[in-house]
Amino acid sequence: MATDFWASSHYKRWITDRATLKQARAEDLQYVDDPEHLEFLDIYFANAIAKLGRKLQLRQRAIATATVFFRRFYLKNAYCETDPFLVIAACCYVAAKAEESPVHIKNVVTESRTLFSQHYNVKNFPSDNSKLGEMEFYLVDDLECDLTVFHPYRTLMALCKKESSTDEDDETEAGEVGVGISADEGQRYWGSSEDKLEMSEAALQMAWHIINDTYRGSLCLLYPPHLIAIAAIYLTQVFHRPSRDNLSTLLQPPSSTAPHPRRSSRNAAESKKHQDPVTFLAELNVSLPLIATISQEIIALYALWDRYKDDSLPDTSSSSRQSPLSATGGCASRSRSGGTPQSEAADDHRVTPAFLSNLLMKMRENRLTDLAHPPTGRPVAVNKMLERTQAAG
Amino acid sequence: MDAVERANVERQKRWVKDQKVGEGTYAVVYRGREASTGRKVAIKKIKVGQFKDGLDMSAVREVKYLRELKHQNVIELLDVFSSKTNLNLVLEFLDSDLEMIIKDRSLVFLPADIKSWMAMTFRGLEFCHRNFVLHRDLKPNNLLIASDGQLKIADFGLARDFADPGYKMTCQVITRWYRPPELLFGCRYYGTAVDIWSVGCIFAELMLRTPYLAGESDMDQLKTIFRALGTPTEQDWPGHTKLPDYITVGQFPKTPLRDLFTAASPDALNLLSKCLIYEPRRRISAKDALHHQYFFAQPHPSYPSKLPKCATQLATAQPLEEVDANVDMESTVAGGKGGPIKARPKRKLNSPYDDSKSRSIARRLDFTQPIPGS
Ligand SMILES: Nc1ncnc2c1ncn2[C@@H]1O[C@H](COP(=O)(O)OP(=O)(O)OP(=O)(O)O)[C@@H](O)[C@H]1O
Repeated sequence: MATDFWASSHYKRWITDRATLKQARAEDLQYVDDPEHLEFLDIYFANAIAKLGRKLQLRQRAIATATVFFRRFYLKNAYCETDPFLVIAACCYVAAKAEESPVHIKNVVTESRTLFSQHYNVKNFPSDNSKLGEMEFYLVDDLECDLTVFHPYRTLMALCKKESSTDEDDETEAGEVGVGISADEGQRYWGSSEDKLEMSEAALQMAWHIINDTYRGSLCLLYPPHLIAIAAIYLTQVFHRPSRDNLSTLLQPPSSTAPHPRRSSRNAAESKKHQDPVTFLAELNVSLPLIATISQEIIALYALWDRYKDDSLPDTSSSSRQSPLSATGGCASRSRSGGTPQSEAADDHRVTPAFLSNLLMKMRENRLTDLAHPPTGRPVAVNKMLERTQAAG
Repeated sequence: MDAVERANVERQKRWVKDQKVGEGTYAVVYRGREASTGRKVAIKKIKVGQFKDGLDMSAVREVKYLRELKHQNVIELLDVFSSKTNLNLVLEFLDSDLEMIIKDRSLVFLPADIKSWMAMTFRGLEFCHRNFVLHRDLKPNNLLIASDGQLKIADFGLARDFADPGYKMTCQVITRWYRPPELLFGCRYYGTAVDIWSVGCIFAELMLRTPYLAGESDMDQLKTIFRALGTPTEQDWPGHTKLPDYITVGQFPKTPLRDLFTAASPDALNLLSKCLIYEPRRRISAKDALHHQYFFAQPHPSYPSKLPKCATQLATAQPLEEVDANVDMESTVAGGKGGPIKARPKRKLNSPYDDSKSRSIARRLDFTQPIPGS
């Protein structure tokens, strides 16, 4: 399902807004001290999915699909009432099937148990296949059987090409970047390669990684994938080009905007050999202020991520961990504390996975206490709210 | 009951299951109807069993593609809902299939009838291909016929996306008689042309009223094809001898299609021959097929409602043994007054620890179990 995004379940049922996202986290919000911790959890879970996905040797696309499944599931469920790790395993398991690279259920169980107990302090991941099978059923049910997910990668490959590359080169490129849409297929829907924006290999890689990184936030629930791709291209241009002034003026506030962003149907009429980025972006039939908004949200996500310290490093490939901003933003490596569960997030305003694992556990415990009607007669959630309002006022 | 569960119950109430009409590898099919309108539907209950092996890959594919594809000539998935531990797909009810019609000796096909079925098949297929979906199991028995005569492509259990080119795919697809030579030679990178070959075989079968290339084994299938169409030369099909499972099965001369299809029009034979071109890249596309002269020449395709129909209906009544799905609804609805987290009845089946108060294990946390690290 690659063509008609506007007729897809993805567009019709799964593009949502901030208010809905907020509503979906309402229950969890009662159990955290700082609402920001929920945003850190978004990163934390995305990292966990990526790690499990890599262990299962899933393609980037399947990992992205698993992440989208996870986000969609938690539009309808609360972290504190579910077992997110079992959900993660189910997301990877279903995504592998949906993306035609099925993995045996036993494999998923084994890898999950190992990974989650080593890095996430999850000691009770069920060893029984049928528990994962059961979770798969609830997941598919809550996904309303919508298993086709669109991703920005294809748009990226359709809009951009490597500098001075011929169409043939596109396919021989290393890594998954090369496995995008073929020149031939691309041509059918996106015009000839002459219309494509030329980028250096490094820039193309960067755009690819920016797209990967967007899955650490909620962008995939908020915006159509091709707009996320275009934002990634825009950001890449900003980071990579001296002429960034041109671009920022281009994206300055409300000029006349297309009210409803449609897929970029680019006029094949004038095909120039070398597209310059400004013209390129201007010619895409999309709302540029919207692209600017998405870009800002991506940058905000990087800012957040810079304050997140992943202390479980072994298999995090350096390239995917390196945010374009951290190169410029100068975040020196901190000493690893070993993440004592009790340590506050505070020290240097960094949040660690250990802290979040602990937070998750507490959220559940408190939820449980609430449900069991505590002897104080005052549910924990209420206490938390009281504390917060008292602290605030 | 939370909003999600309530929505599901609503959907579940919308449909009523009647008797069982058939069974496939991963599903049981019931006849049913829409409660409010009485509209006839088929309810396909996917067996999840004891969850040991997870959802069947065919079920995943079928659901994945049918959720997206909406076209007059593709079977319509009207709704999905869960009951207990089953996923239920609500499909439009389709009485018969093209295989039954072909086999029904009491029916006479006019050339205009065949043209009509072919046009509907190509229209449905063109839509799939336009959306980058390969069907990979086209055969008369997967072309279902609605009561108004419309033909609908069904059974997407082997379908897949081909939008990422250069991605290796299995060659173990398509029922043998409809399988193209490139797959029989083990080709792992293929495209829409595989479905076109199948349609060619169906086209021939409509004219002959018997399967055209009925091989008895995969090896024999190649021989059967070559006997009918001549052994391909390097010129017919450049590079085919380099395919992974290439074998020689003997030299057969080309015989004109006309020798076998004596009654067919030249246009029909021309289109047929273009569906059965050896070199996949030169085989006609569904889109070009729809623009082929055959579809514009006289006679015009029959109106679907005027097409020959089977007397014997698919849905012969069977004992009312398995009328379920709705039995549990009362308890689901009644669950609304208990604790803050309700157990959905469907969860009870598979959770040995469950009693009336306990919570589901999977979707929601099982609070009866120790919390990790605590
Ligand atoms: N939409 C429908 N309308 C009416 N009857 C149907 C419909 N779909 C399926 N059936 C009936 O149910 C039977 C089982 O269908 P199903 O699609 O599950 O399996 P199949 O395709 O026949 O076999 P397999 O699953 O092994 O490929 C069919 O043979 C047919 O009799």
